[in-house]
Amino acid sequence: MKVQYKPKRNLLETIFQVEILQGMALTLRKLFSPAITRQYPQEKPPMYPGFRGQHALVRDSVSKESKCVACMRCATVCPSRCIQIGYDEDETHKRVVNRYTIEVLRCVFCGYCVEVCPVGAITMTELFEYATYDRQTVFFDKEALLDNWDSFILKTGKDATYVNPLMRPRGVLESSLPSAKRLTVPDDWTIEGQYVGTKVKPSTMNLPSTTHAEAENG
Amino acid sequence: MQILTIILQIAILLVIVLLHVAYATYFERKIIGHMQVRMGPMLVGYHGLLQPIADGIKSFFKEDVIPAQADKPLFLFAPVICLVTMLTSLAVIPFAKGWVLADINIGLLFIFAMSSLASYGVILAGWASNSKYTFLGGLRSMAQVISYEIPLGLSLVGVMMLSGSLNLTTIVTSQGNSFSSMYLFPQIIGFFVFFIAMLAETNRVPFDLPEAETELVSGYITEYSGMRYALFFMAEYIGMMVMASIGTICFLGGWNGPFEIPFFPPFWFILKVYGFIFFFIWIRATLPRYRYDQLMELGWKLLIPLALLNILLTGLFKILVH
Repeated sequence: MKVQYKPKRNLLETIFQVEILQGMALTLRKLFSPAITRQYPQEKPPMYPGFRGQHALVRDSVSKESKCVACMRCATVCPSRCIQIGYDEDETHKRVVNRYTIEVLRCVFCGYCVEVCPVGAITMTELFEYATYDRQTVFFDKEALLDNWDSFILKTGKDATYVNPLMRPRGVLESSLPSAKRLTVPDDWTIEGQYVGTKVKPSTMNLPSTTHAEAENG
Repeated sequence: MQILTIILQIAILLVIVLLHVAYATYFERKIIGHMQVRMGPMLVGYHGLLQPIADGIKSFFKEDVIPAQADKPLFLFAPVICLVTMLTSLAVIPFAKGWVLADINIGLLFIFAMSSLASYGVILAGWASNSKYTFLGGLRSMAQVISYEIPLGLSLVGVMMLSGSLNLTTIVTSQGNSFSSMYLFPQIIGFFVFFIAMLAETNRVPFDLPEAETELVSGYITEYSGMRYALFFMAEYIGMMVMASIGTICFLGGWNGPFEIPFFPPFWFILKVYGFIFFFIWIRATLPRYRYDQLMELGWKLLIPLALLNILLTGLFKILVH
């Protein structure tokens, strides 16, 4: 390992304390540079695709109900065990969700539930300012989760086709996804039509395409 | 009648100085904020302009907690010592020609006495709180004041020799009113020593060991709350102003400026004092705290010899000129 020692000061530099003066010059320069902080309550942070905010159950545009089919995958994958699902079976053995709760105070916002859902029923919205003084308000049942979706559409002006890129599991071929998960995500999150799970840096765009294809197949 | 006018003058001076103190905190927070590439207070009033007033009201209505183990009379009295001594030093400072409450002939000595006395407030606060952090803060303050009172006094001996007086008004008038006749130039070593000793005397960064918040919670004011905490705060800022005024009077030519400002003679004085205070803040935003032994070493091994050398040079110069 090469150790980088500070160059020795000569007598003149010691007398005039050059390092202190350099530091003072730096702070004086910064005094006139614009602040980099954000005046938060007045000035909201920009939202990027893949933000993991408040949970919501997507309200289906046709049935006006949740898309959830009670496959229990989200409840199974949830590392903090904060999703509880109850269901009945009708005469054709189709599952009907009668209870879907998320205890947000236990949630770790990993986004696995969103990723694993085969029908794109649960999502994470871009809302994050929902702190309250009681526990009831952040214990979401099915209706509250559907309302979260409505208020998200209303507040952010997004249309009902909003897709959080988290909804698509990364590195899975388009053809092997369930049809409900073949959602369009932003172009800069894909390489050759393949969703990669993070924003693609320009340098990786230029890589030979075989590396990605091999990774998928192998 | 004369007493009434003096009381009125004192009241006006106190109100003005305390307002300046309040806004000095705002000044400091804003400048440090911008130097750290953030905004500083922004919410109370336009760009946080009413922040000092909000702070004042808040600390006035806060609960005044007295620890059960504290030495109660001393605990209550310590901040008063700090503030009163600092406010008393204001009496001898000439803000402009004739704008001085008490034009006494030992002005400089009086200020030294008062600023040393203020450290008793700090030490007693540290002792009376009966807590290890405050006690360590008080001890450090004691050692620091003893070490830095000497170079501070010695650095101004050169000024006394040149002007031949301890009266602050005489010191200013003997400097004349041209730029080149300021004592800053013949007394450049004295100014250097004075500036560093001044930082230490007012317990400012990089010599803020008595309240080193990274080691001692908040040093000697750890156990204080509410208005008593604010009294220490005010004392610190008035101390800054007094020391900046002394620097202005002794080295920068006091109220003299490039041209006279009609109706408001203290203009240049105030400008220079704020220049000093800006320097205080600038240094605070830049430098880390000295280690305790480095602080002692700097005081005893560098500043005192430098100050003595300065006295010697000034004396030789005087002998050679006459």
